[in-house]
This record gives sequence, C-alpha cells and structure tokens, in this order.
Amino acid sequence: MSIFRIALNNLMRRKIKMLFLMLGLIVGVATVISFVNILKAMESELGDKIDEFGPNSIILPRSEGMDINNNNTMNTDITFDIQKLTMEDIPKISASSVSQYINIISPKLVGAVETEQRKTIIVGIDTKKEFTQKPWLTLKQQDTTKEIQELSFLDLPNKSVILGSSAAKALNVKVGELILLDEKEFKVFGILNEVGSEDDGLIYGNLNEVQTLLNKPNELSMIEVSAYCNNCPIEEIVVGLEESLPNSSVTALKEAALFREETIGQFSKFGFALSAMVLLIAAMVVLKTMLSSISERTREIGIFRAIGFRRAHIMKIIFIEVGLIGIISGILGFLIGSLAATYGGPYLAQIQNDIPIDIQLLLPAVLLSVGLAIIVSAYPAIKAAQLDPAEALRYV
Amino acid sequence: MSEILISIKDIKKTYKSMGEEVDALKNITLDIMKGESVSVMGHSGSGKSTLLSIMGALNPPTSGVIEIDGIDIYKLSQEMRADFRREYLGFVFQQFQLIPYLTAHENVMLPLTTTKRTNKEKRDMAEEVLIRVGLKDKMNRLPNQLSGGEQERVAIARAIVNSPPLILADEPTGSLDTKTGDEIMELFQELNQEGLTVLMVTHNPDNTKYLGRTIMMKDGRLSDYQEELIRKSININ
Repeated sequence: MSIFRIALNNLMRRKIKMLFLMLGLIVGVATVISFVNILKAMESELGDKIDEFGPNSIILPRSEGMDINNNNTMNTDITFDIQKLTMEDIPKISASSVSQYINIISPKLVGAVETEQRKTIIVGIDTKKEFTQKPWLTLKQQDTTKEIQELSFLDLPNKSVILGSSAAKALNVKVGELILLDEKEFKVFGILNEVGSEDDGLIYGNLNEVQTLLNKPNELSMIEVSAYCNNCPIEEIVVGLEESLPNSSVTALKEAALFREETIGQFSKFGFALSAMVLLIAAMVVLKTMLSSISERTREIGIFRAIGFRRAHIMKIIFIEVGLIGIISGILGFLIGSLAATYGGPYLAQIQNDIPIDIQLLLPAVLLSVGLAIIVSAYPAIKAAQLDPAEALRYV
Repeated sequence: MSEILISIKDIKKTYKSMGEEVDALKNITLDIMKGESVSVMGHSGSGKSTLLSIMGALNPPTSGVIEIDGIDIYKLSQEMRADFRREYLGFVFQQFQLIPYLTAHENVMLPLTTTKRTNKEKRDMAEEVLIRVGLKDKMNRLPNQLSGGEQERVAIARAIVNSPPLILADEPTGSLDTKTGDEIMELFQELNQEGLTVLMVTHNPDNTKYLGRTIMMKDGRLSDYQEELIRKSININ
C-alpha cells in the first residue's frame, strides 16, 4: 500500500469527474498543439511568400574604398580596386553552403544607353527570374493580340524591350513601336504599370542582349537573391554567399527581413493570445473540478489526517492524481491536436503546405498539461491539507 | 500499581455558536490507567464526542492540559500530532469510515502507508490483524461488499494494525444489530484483555458490561450520580 496506490484507486473510483477534468486539459493542450502546428506551417508558408516577394540580399562587385576628410570641411569617397561579377558567379551561388535556402537568383547588368539623343538606363535581366522576384511589376500594355501575360512566365522575344511607365512617357513611344538604343533597333514589347519607384524610369531587356549592347559580355552589375529564411537568419545567408563569392560584397536588405519578422511576429502573438485564453479556460475547469472533488472528500481527508497522514501526504495524494491525469491528458491532447492540425489545419488556415505530426511537441505537451494541472491544483491541495481533521470528522 | 496513560487536567472547551460562547466541556479532570477499558456515556450534546476528539489529538482544548503517556499532546506541532496519532492511537469512528475505493486489506494498511516499513511487512501486518478479527477470506473485498459487522471488524483491524497502546472508539455499535454489536463488544473486550487501553463513547448501556469503568457526562461535566443510575438500570434489566 502506498500513497500512489491511494491516488490511483481514487482516480479509478471517480471516473466521470476525472474524465471531465481530463477533458478540460485535453481541449486546452490539443488547442495549443494544433495551433502551434498550424502557426508553424503558416509561418513557414508566409515566410516563403515574403521571401519570394522581392530580394532579401544583393550581391555587388567587391571594391576597396576610403573616406577622405579634408580638415573637416569636405568628405570624399574614393573607390578603387573594383572587381567584376560575371555569369560564372551564378553557379557558385547554387553551390554555396547556403544553397538550400536560395530561392531565386536574378542576375542583372545595368548601364546607360543613348536614345533620342539622351541617356537612359537599361537593365539586362533574366525576365522570368526578375519578374518572379518583383511581382509588383505588371504589364499595362503588351504587343500581341493575346491577353496580357503574367510577367513571371514571360520569355521576352529577341530584340525587344519592356519600358517602365515614365521611360515610355519620356521617350514618347508606344507598344509595338521601334526605338533606337545606341543606334540599334529594339521593339517595345510592353509597358509596365506605374509603381512609383525608380523602376518606372528603366528599360528592361534580355540580359545577353544588353551585355552585347553595352559591350560587356559575360559581365554583371549585381545579382539579387531571394532566400528562404525560415530556418536560418539572413545574416547566415550573407556569410555563406560571401564565402562562395570572394570577389563580391553581399548586403542583406534589412527592410525585407524586418517586415518578415514583424508580420510573423504578429501572427505568433495572435496565436499565443488565443492559446493562453483556451488554457485559462482549461485551468478554470481543473480548478473547479478539483475544488469540488476536495469538498466531496472532506471526510475522507479527515480520516487520513486522523490516522496519521501529514499535510504533505494529503498534498502528495492530490498532486499524484492530477499529475497522472496531466500525463494522460498531455499525450491525448498532443495526439488530438496534431491530428486536428494535420487534417483540419490546411482547410482552416487556407495553407497549401502539409502539416506533419511533430513528435518533438509531445514532451512539451505533457509538461504543459502536467504543469498546468499541478499549478492550478496547488490551491485545492493546500486547502485539503489544511482541513481541520476534527472539523472534517464533524467533531467540532 | 498501574501507570497513568491519559491524564486530563482541568480541560475546558468553548465554541462560538451564533455569536455566543458555548461551553462544551467544563473543567474536566480525569485519569485513565494503562490497560483500562472505559465507556463514556451521556446524552447527545453532553460533550462525550468532544472529549474523545480532544483525547484523540484532533481538537485542542480551550484550556487545560492533556498528557498521553507523559506527552503534552497539544504542545506538539500539527505535523508532530499527526505522527503521534499514527503511533499512539487507533481510531474506530462512527459508521466505520472505511475508504470506499480501497479493499479491506488496503484499508487496514492505511495507517502503515506513511511508515518506513517494506510493502511486504505492511501486507503481512494487515493480513495478520484481519485474521485476528476473523476476516481472512474477505480481505480483498471492497467495503460495500461487506456486511455492517464485517466493516466494523475492518475498522477495528485498521485501528490496531499499528499496535497503538490506546484505542478510541466512537459509537462503534451504533449502526449494528444487537447480535453483531455484542460480537464487536466481545472483540473489544478481548483486545483489552490483551493489554490495549480502550476508551469508548457509547449510547448503549449494554456495552458498558464489556468495559471496566463507565464515565457519565452531562452538560459538559463528569457526573457520578448519572453513573449510578446507569448501573442500576443495567442491574434491573
């Protein structure tokens, strides 16, 4: 005969009440677990979408520079030893130590061309990659009878260019017309919608054609990279890229990372708030059930105390009971929450990613359940231990 | 000459009821010797159960001193008093008060639960006393599978399993028929003859014939006159 046995037998006797208590904990734990699983999947998917929405790091040719200060009156930046980025650098990115995080590599060459006796900036791009990376750029007009194409699927025909809205206005050209760029003819394939940024003043062409036009074969001005940052910080990606491209300097676009963190952080806060509320309700159920159980067991506790059980023994019986219930509820809550997330999560949260059962959440689920049950039961346990045995046995 | 086991000196117990102070016990002074068997009789509200609970280290008196085996029990801390009850006292409560979800064997083992004996020792000790009270074949039954008399025997076995020097019994035959009640009283008599001190609160004058001394209580005081009346009534019957 042990205190454990007393606790176990009491649980078996009060099956309905204990099932009710267990149900409260199971609902609490299952909600938290399913929410954590769905949130993780949402975070991952949201992160991926944000990562795809514009580059989060930019690779430029490495150069040395210094800042000359003339008697505190004038500052001059001097740049020297400028290295070159080439097409050969692209496969190095794919082979880098952080290649698994890389989503889109968009190389580009930027230069000035003369048209209509004025200088205009032309950008040589891989159209599919550039426009996938910048989905905010969309076509207003297009030189075909077909419907306006999704830019991320566009194969820009040879000797064609796409103009930003301001560039088209400044050059006064329309879709389908020919323009001369450094005395070479290009057809205006399309004009972009206005976005209110420097993109509006640019002319976009195929990278290889722009390289030939600018007489910089194989050369790149920069490479913009979109990386998935769900599993690693952007700083780690920057270090990995710099290691694989010693001739370059890699800069993280902090705004993208901050936006990502902020958006995901808001989702997490919402999730935690909702989980906390459900847990609070579960805690109230446990408290109410335990207080009522203690009240029903007043006489029994009086007998225990009268035959020599110390206060600590009474508390031990109660904590063993709620601990056992907590363990079972934690396991069941984990299973129900995981299954609910796996099968219901994608529909509820409208996400495309699968939500796998994360066995690593089992231990936290059990600890949460046991911890909650014991913390909430502390007050009823203390109350039970402090019962006056004479009063419990109605001797007073 | 016998030694004093319980020494009660000028005990008072006052309760507050509806804002008024009620004296449940008034200046009780009493000695009970080792090996003695004593019945405490009196009407409802006479203070006999209060006296029993005070002797059982459950209910501190308002004033006065009570020593059991030389120990001033209300000078002990609450937890020490729990230890004292486990080692010195065997309680037989009204209506048996068995734990309904434990078998007879487990109920008897209860006072041993918090001791440092091995599980085997505890099982053997409980089995031994259950045999002693004649329940060898019903050890694994739950209380609701036992008759009233059998439940009383389990309650007595639980009270004596720890070999305490003193048994305190509160109306142990109150819920039993006359025949079973007599059997239980014979069991108490045997235990007393084996050396245990027995103090029993009872309403039933018939029970007094199994016990050595009768104390009569009235309005919170000991009453010798009433004791005489009871003796006379027993003789008449």
